[in-house]
Amino acid sequence: MEQVAFIVWRESVEALLVVGILYAWLRASPAGRKGLPWLWGGVLAGLGLAVLLALVLLGISSWLSDQGQEWFQAIMALVACGLVVQMVVWMKRHGRGLKQELEQGARAQIGDSNWWGLLVLVMIAVAREGSETVVFLYGTIAAGEATGSMWYLALAGVLGFLAALATFWVLQLGGKLITWRRFFRITEILLLLLASSLLVSGLDHLIALQVLPTLMDPVWDSSWLLGTGGGIGKVLADFAGYREYPALSQLIIWLAYWVAVWCLLRRAGRPAQRAARVAQAARSGS
Amino acid sequence: MLARARRAVIDIAGAARSRRASTLARVSRRLALALCLALGCAAAAVAAGLPTFTITFKPDGTFDPARLEVPAGRFKLILVNASKVPVEFESLPLRVEKVLGPGVTSFVVITLSRPGEYPFFDDFHQNVKGTLVVGPAK
Repeated sequence: MEQVAFIVWRESVEALLVVGILYAWLRASPAGRKGLPWLWGGVLAGLGLAVLLALVLLGISSWLSDQGQEWFQAIMALVACGLVVQMVVWMKRHGRGLKQELEQGARAQIGDSNWWGLLVLVMIAVAREGSETVVFLYGTIAAGEATGSMWYLALAGVLGFLAALATFWVLQLGGKLITWRRFFRITEILLLLLASSLLVSGLDHLIALQVLPTLMDPVWDSSWLLGTGGGIGKVLADFAGYREYPALSQLIIWLAYWVAVWCLLRRAGRPAQRAARVAQAARSGS
Repeated sequence: MLARARRAVIDIAGAARSRRASTLARVSRRLALALCLALGCAAAAVAAGLPTFTITFKPDGTFDPARLEVPAGRFKLILVNASKVPVEFESLPLRVEKVLGPGVTSFVVITLSRPGEYPFFDDFHQNVKGTLVVGPAK
């Protein structure tokens, strides 16, 4: 029973982390609130896609071949990685300036394209892990039907999901307890780490599809130090993209990701700082 | 896919004619062509008939075989879930995460160049474990 609850929590927590952080970010500014319907739309679309994927995994539907599933997983992971970075950069550029822009009467130009990106990101985050949760719960409960423990198992699933919702709530509480600046900093790093793990996972699929050459496989073997079979190694793999046997191409792309993110954020941070300085100068001048 | 490859070739020919095409656009077109070629190769490799092995998730909650020996290189692993519960064949060293509903059969293609022992497990029942032993290439 605890195992069922734990697996449901574990499978939901990644999606709830993404949704929870984006929710907290959007709620922090009046212009951001306009994005909330897109966020919930993404959750709904993600649940729909999760069910469609689950039907394939259960062998009920075959709209995706085995090879197709591999491609779909690769594309979902890589697109989600790109969208996370885009959201973080966008927040960095507009997040702090939004309030001032509105106060100064300047119209906050937030294109629909950004909201579509938000919707797709949330959809992928929910669908990726959601499909596995659906298969796990459906299969476990169906198996429990034979032994009469069906309701018991269903309750365990509900408990796991409640635990995940509690995690969401703690995250929202965290946003209120510490300063916005610090909350943004921490959640920004969390999301960027998560995006790096999505990148590595997408590359894993591309290597399996033989689309990406490994160049050298593996570069090192750190399984003696930290295996990805469970414990810290698995958490690091799921949330930061750690691998015990990385391929050289994977390592290079992972490094390029962090260099690119660093450059993008430095560039995005600059106008915000300038705007803040201008606002400060205006205030001290008046 | 063929149509896409052809389009990419035409694009590249066009780029060569037009001197004004930016370097970035040219590079991205070449990447598109390379991707199409790689896709073709991947499809050909699958068709070529890889060494194939089977791992079964048995109803009693064990892998059959729990220890599988394979030669280094590229091979196909057929996964059969003969149990009544969903399973997730997982091994990051093997670059595989695959969820299988009850009674579902699927496969994964794995490339391993380094001989050694690679652990795998069922992520939905974490005490169910197995080992893939990669021997020297044949």
